[in-house]
Amino acid sequence: MNVNFQSALPDELLMDMESERRVLSSMLHSEDACVEAYHCMQTADFYVPKHAAIFDLLCSLFEREIRPTYVELLKEAHSLGMLNNPRDIEEVKYIAEHYIDDENIKYWIKRVKDKAKIRRFVDFLRNNYQILRERQEQDIEQLLMNAEDHLTNLTALEIDDKIDTPEDMANLGYDEVERRFLRYQEIQVKHKGVIPLDGLPTGFDNLDHITLGYKSGDLIILGAQTGHGKTAFALHTAKSIAVNYGKNILYLNTEMSREQIALRWASILSEIEHDRIRMGDISQNELSMILNGYSKLRASGFYSYPCPNLTPEKTISIARKFRSQKNIDMMIIDYVGRMEKQDPKLQEWQILEQIIKTQKLLAQNLKIAVMVLVQLNPDGSLQGAKRMKNECDLMLKLSPFSKEELEENEELNKYARKPNYYLYIEKNRDGRSGVRIPINFDLQKQTMKDAERVGN
Amino acid sequence: MSAGDEDIIRIYDETASLIADLGIRGRITVDEMKFLLDLLELVLIKKDKPNFIDLLKQWKPGQGDEEIDQIIKATLLNVDFKNLLSLEENQTMIEELINEKFKDGVR
Repeated sequence: MNVNFQSALPDELLMDMESERRVLSSMLHSEDACVEAYHCMQTADFYVPKHAAIFDLLCSLFEREIRPTYVELLKEAHSLGMLNNPRDIEEVKYIAEHYIDDENIKYWIKRVKDKAKIRRFVDFLRNNYQILRERQEQDIEQLLMNAEDHLTNLTALEIDDKIDTPEDMANLGYDEVERRFLRYQEIQVKHKGVIPLDGLPTGFDNLDHITLGYKSGDLIILGAQTGHGKTAFALHTAKSIAVNYGKNILYLNTEMSREQIALRWASILSEIEHDRIRMGDISQNELSMILNGYSKLRASGFYSYPCPNLTPEKTISIARKFRSQKNIDMMIIDYVGRMEKQDPKLQEWQILEQIIKTQKLLAQNLKIAVMVLVQLNPDGSLQGAKRMKNECDLMLKLSPFSKEELEENEELNKYARKPNYYLYIEKNRDGRSGVRIPINFDLQKQTMKDAERVGN
Repeated sequence: MSAGDEDIIRIYDETASLIADLGIRGRITVDEMKFLLDLLELVLIKKDKPNFIDLLKQWKPGQGDEEIDQIIKATLLNVDFKNLLSLEENQTMIEELINEKFKDGVR
């Protein structure tokens, strides 16, 4: 018996030309669809070689920050000597005409990927059939075990589903310990006992010391009441990471305009009162200081995306795009309460929980730190806080000291300048929590600093 | 997606295919093909530089001095659409050439 698996199966089981065309067409006409396909698909998912080649071209354009439109595809293909006869153009035109709406992109991607899985399964059957025919004397147990191995790889659908063997786990553990051992040695010798950061600088020395920075894969929640400095904290973090440390970050703001965000930077970078800047009541010298501040912003890695109708799905799409194109190390969402509700039947805390879960997955998948700003209730509590706390790696609360505490707490007099705010570490997966970090928050200049103790 | 959007996408796809087809068949040069594709992108996708587009409408090739037409065409084929400075510089130059072409008032 000689079985040709490929020809024994109907074509429509192995490939779906229409879905392939729809995916490519969506990539040509919609940036969101392009981001989705870029992140979810591989060249080998396409059955038709020409479709695979077009997918590669579109991905290559996307990586170079060129929106992969039909025109850009034609130009790119021409410059590479592809699509060089009228029939090719007809074919690409036919693909382009398959665009309906990028809302359905996930459906079409799934269909293409499912067919690719079937083809891999057919390959698996063919290979094992071949082995059985050619090596009849072999150990059947071994043959079955090998087949099971291959089959497991086929069913472990995504790369992320990798299972660690005992050997993998031991190697990983030893590497981690060795890395920490070498770092400790380095700290003792090079840094004279000061522990260097493991992640991105927080902008506060005391917080850096406790957390060792915001690490990739971390979800950080910062809670504050209305008007208590959420945006100032977000931009302070952005300054520390993107301006001072030179790393790329994406800042999503749901309530401020581009102009408002740009204007905030003037105060933060020049330390001139925001009200005066807004009115234009500044001297020539101060104007030069502001210009100097903006030159630092120009050279920084701060990418801003004002987005009043932000949804959890949109954050995924935007984060993926900026991770691929700008190699961002962090994303800040300012703030989550303004995100669009997908399901009006859900309670507020259920929606928040969903958003937080999405952001944690996003941080882990893209290997970036994600900071989400949330609004605290007037009593300082947070709706659904327990569930949010479970998901995040670091939970901070920013609050002003009460008037009574400012007057009565002797401890606060031990600072060179009396702190007016504090950061409370509600949860810290990698270290101490329940700690209050006093800070000086200059509301007018929109700046935040560690409060310095006298004698330090 | 509205019916209007669908129409624009259809016109864009059809026109891009037509330009590429003319280029591949050798009816227009590679430079001409690239320029027309960039122009199509500018008008229908980026919806940018309306002044530049208005200027091109004023050109009216075939009317007036043929030599100036050739210079304008050569200038246009050299425009780098991704370089804002190049676009602005060439726009000024083309504007001067069109003024020169119609200096006797024939428009």
